Amino acid sequence: MNGNDLSTAIRNCLGEFTSYSDELGELDRALGDGDLGITVSLGAAAVEEALAVLPADSTPAEVVLACAKAFANANPSTMAALVAGALLAGSKVWGPSTSLAEGQIGAFAVAAAESISQRGKSKIGDKTILDAMFPAADALVNAPAGGSALDAAINAAEAGVIASKELQSRRGRASWLQERSIGLQDPGATAFLRFLQSWKATNTKAALITAGENIK
Amino acid sequence: MKKIINEPSAFVDEFVEGILLAHPGLLKTPGSDRRVLVRADAPIAGKVGIITGGGSGHLPLFKGYVGRGLCDGVAIGNVFSSPSSAQVLEATKAVSGGAGVLYLYGNYGGDVFNFDLATDMAELEGIATLTAVGRDDVASQPKERAADRRGVAGIMFAFKAAGAAAERGDSLEQVAAVAEDIIDNTATMGIGLSPTILPTTGKASFDLDDGEMEVGIGIHGEPGFHRGAVETADRIAETLMERLVADLGLTSGARVAVLVNGMGATPLEELYLLFRRVHQLLTEQGISIDKNYIGEYATSLEMSGASISLLALNDERLALLNAPAESPFFKEA
Repeated sequence: MNGNDLSTAIRNCLGEFTSYSDELGELDRALGDGDLGITVSLGAAAVEEALAVLPADSTPAEVVLACAKAFANANPSTMAALVAGALLAGSKVWGPSTSLAEGQIGAFAVAAAESISQRGKSKIGDKTILDAMFPAADALVNAPAGGSALDAAINAAEAGVIASKELQSRRGRASWLQERSIGLQDPGATAFLRFLQSWKATNTKAALITAGENIK
Repeated sequence: MKKIINEPSAFVDEFVEGILLAHPGLLKTPGSDRRVLVRADAPIAGKVGIITGGGSGHLPLFKGYVGRGLCDGVAIGNVFSSPSSAQVLEATKAVSGGAGVLYLYGNYGGDVFNFDLATDMAELEGIATLTAVGRDDVASQPKERAADRRGVAGIMFAFKAAGAAAERGDSLEQVAAVAEDIIDNTATMGIGLSPTILPTTGKASFDLDDGEMEVGIGIHGEPGFHRGAVETADRIAETLMERLVADLGLTSGARVAVLVNGMGATPLEELYLLFRRVHQLLTEQGISIDKNYIGEYATSLEMSGASISLLALNDERLALLNAPAESPFFKEA
């Protein structure tokens, strides 16, 4: 996968991902300040705009960097800043390479999760996006050769979202709810799961055959 | 609620425009975004740059501290909202003189996340950054959680000292160390008598009954640790000073800088009443005041109330406070 393939894949994914904006906004209204839906929809639109004007010969890291900048500035929320920082941390792992080998996606995901952990001063079990991200990153890194790393990551993220539902929120506005946060589903972790599911729905071979026009 | 205001949504951009028109020789905007301001002589080759920023509504924080011997640039957001990482980056690029840039701002989640992201972006531009975060509000967390305290008026001392260190040619690491040293030795506590009215909503940011005061209030109206009947100026000074002197562990023979800060709607006369009692209390304890500042240094729109900050002094810190500085708001000859 070169930079142009990655750019196309991201845009495919975001079209599907924004359809979850309302769901994410609702979850965030219950636990946070309710702006996650806006962050996702405005952020996705800004990313698509940025990628549309990026040179076709950009490296994968340059593609991700453009995404990070666009996402951070579209709606400068805490979530947007953390995600943008995570994308930058992940892109550093790739360096200047012009095409991605199999193992590099996992390394990206680990670096991205660690960035959010460090910047957000949070860890697994705090009921944040990390409850989906770290297990998914592990699954990507440890996926057997030839197996579906993406399926393994989706399963791991989903298990993380479900498990964290019963936890008490420890970070951010959600933590102010204290034990009333128990039983509510974390919007950040859900967003990460929906992103992976959107990727699968739009970028696996079966999805691409039906999408036709999108791939060149 | 009455305000001298035009379109509420234009409030920030219009007051910044006023500042720029009033001080054309001192400040400039590097790009089209009025919320990013830098010194008129930026960038200065070989000098460490200092960037601050935060929400609007606190003048002279943050824009009032941009100038010679102080900060080099500032990025502000909406009232009580963080600037974006892009704005911080724009300010960074405009002041970078090749010696690196220090980010010096108050400890609030949104600001931290956006400045942190700006450090990533600056690195991609080849600009080295370090960060020092003001955390002087002793009411916001106990001593053992000092790292989580809010940053309030006492950050002025850090602007002054770090600005002087940068001006004399210190390296990025040295300027950051000066800022950290000042922050570690600064303690602030405030009281509020009446709330702030937000321009966009026209609503009070918190409720406080007539005859009540909030002890330990933050500069966005964050609740303190005690709400009770309004007390005399002397009694208020005693309450605040007891906490501040204990927090810094000051004993007889210590030297301090004192800042008595008005929150936006409190008369100077009342600030001098507070300072009078502060002076008496410190003198009784054998602590000398080597430097004092009385006025509005960090406000919360029209909140009425005041804060007292103490900085424990040594020769080095005092020399940095006494170094020349000039901004539209701040002057040290």
